[in-house]
Amino acid sequence: MRSVSSKRTATGQDPTLAGFGRYAGPATLILASLADGAKHGYALTKDIESFSNVRLAPGTLYEALARLQAQELIEPVESHDRRRPYQLTAVGAQALQAHLAAQRRIADLGLRRLASSWGIT
Amino acid sequence: MTSPDEAARRASRLLRWYPKAWRSRYGEEFAELLIADISERPRSRPRTADVVRGGIVARLAAAGLCGRTLEASAQARTSLTSLGCCAAIFVGFGTAMWSQLTIGWQWSEPDAAATTVAMVVMSAAILAFLVLALAAAVPVLWSAGSRLARGRRQGLLGPAVLTAACAVIMFVGSRHFGNGWPGTGGHPWARQGLVPGGVAAFSWASTLSVSSYWAHPSALASFPAAELAWMALSPLVMVGLVGGGAALVRRTELSARVLDFEIRLGNAACAAMAVFLGGCCAWIVDGGPGPRNLFHPGAIDTAGAVVMTIAFVAARQAARMARLGTVRSR
Repeated sequence: MRSVSSKRTATGQDPTLAGFGRYAGPATLILASLADGAKHGYALTKDIESFSNVRLAPGTLYEALARLQAQELIEPVESHDRRRPYQLTAVGAQALQAHLAAQRRIADLGLRRLASSWGIT
Repeated sequence: MTSPDEAARRASRLLRWYPKAWRSRYGEEFAELLIADISERPRSRPRTADVVRGGIVARLAAAGLCGRTLEASAQARTSLTSLGCCAAIFVGFGTAMWSQLTIGWQWSEPDAAATTVAMVVMSAAILAFLVLALAAAVPVLWSAGSRLARGRRQGLLGPAVLTAACAVIMFVGSRHFGNGWPGTGGHPWARQGLVPGGVAAFSWASTLSVSSYWAHPSALASFPAAELAWMALSPLVMVGLVGGGAALVRRTELSARVLDFEIRLGNAACAAMAVFLGGCCAWIVDGGPGPRNLFHPGAIDTAGAVVMTIAFVAARQAARMARLGTVRSR
């Protein structure tokens, strides 16, 4: 079990997905994919496609990877292959946890309101 | 089925949309992803469009106009350099437009209030550009000069020589061709305009290449050969001047205080650009041709206004990114 405790990155950046704007979606998918281990670009694309039915196009994937790396939420893994894998950092794991918890709160609220007002469960 | 060689060739072509620094960092792994993607889906327009868009965004980021530069510490300087380049483009086109009007005023005052107000506003903005450019150049030249004096010439000497040489050529050429023009200084109403005739002629000669004559080769053919040569050479000299200056800014270690000062000047330059654009639009929309058609706004002026608007928007964005860069580096 990895320990997740740091609040800020080494360069003092805020470890959340708040500043990702339109990349928040791809960033969440990438972080979720890396949560179970390091992956390179193509493996990320296939994994994300398998669990979300979303295929991230190469340009979008690398824009998000570059931003996540700049925010120190992910880091490259040493590789002798041309395909460089990336892994989640402790700060990245914390950011993903916070982001998904917030999403779950919104999902729970929406489902409760749908159930009470529309009778949909 | 796409062969591996064909996939590699197409990946390599797509990769060219990205800037060199990005390619040296992510190029190999990105190419591998593209090859795998092309092998799986040989034809995909959305993929091509996405890569092209990603490449353009990466280039804008490398120019400090959006996102982040690959080196966080260089963000402010890169954005400042882009701001300077945008300001130079704006001033180039603005001076071309303004000098035509000031030369017109040497002959006769405008008869439309909009043109008169526009001219005063644009002249004030040009003066502001001049003051701001001098104020911005002094700390950069001081920092670069002291680095050169300490013998740390690596990467600075070339841009310094290029900037100085282009500045001299620009000054001498503009003086020469400004003096040769019969429209200023050689008639009874000389120095009756809004600005001295010599200044108007110098500005006119320095921006001689911004001309609608390029679209009329037959008229252009009647120009003296030396003037045609200057029309072709002066934009290259201007590019050398701006490029050399930009390289100096990028390669000179500027302190946080100097960067802060330069960003303030950049914001002031953006305000001057907005003022100039206001004047320019007032003249184009409401000015009219004036006496003897001296103040007639032509297609080249409308095109110039469009270019200046784009340069202004880009400069505003660069100023914002430069400020963000200094915040990030603290």
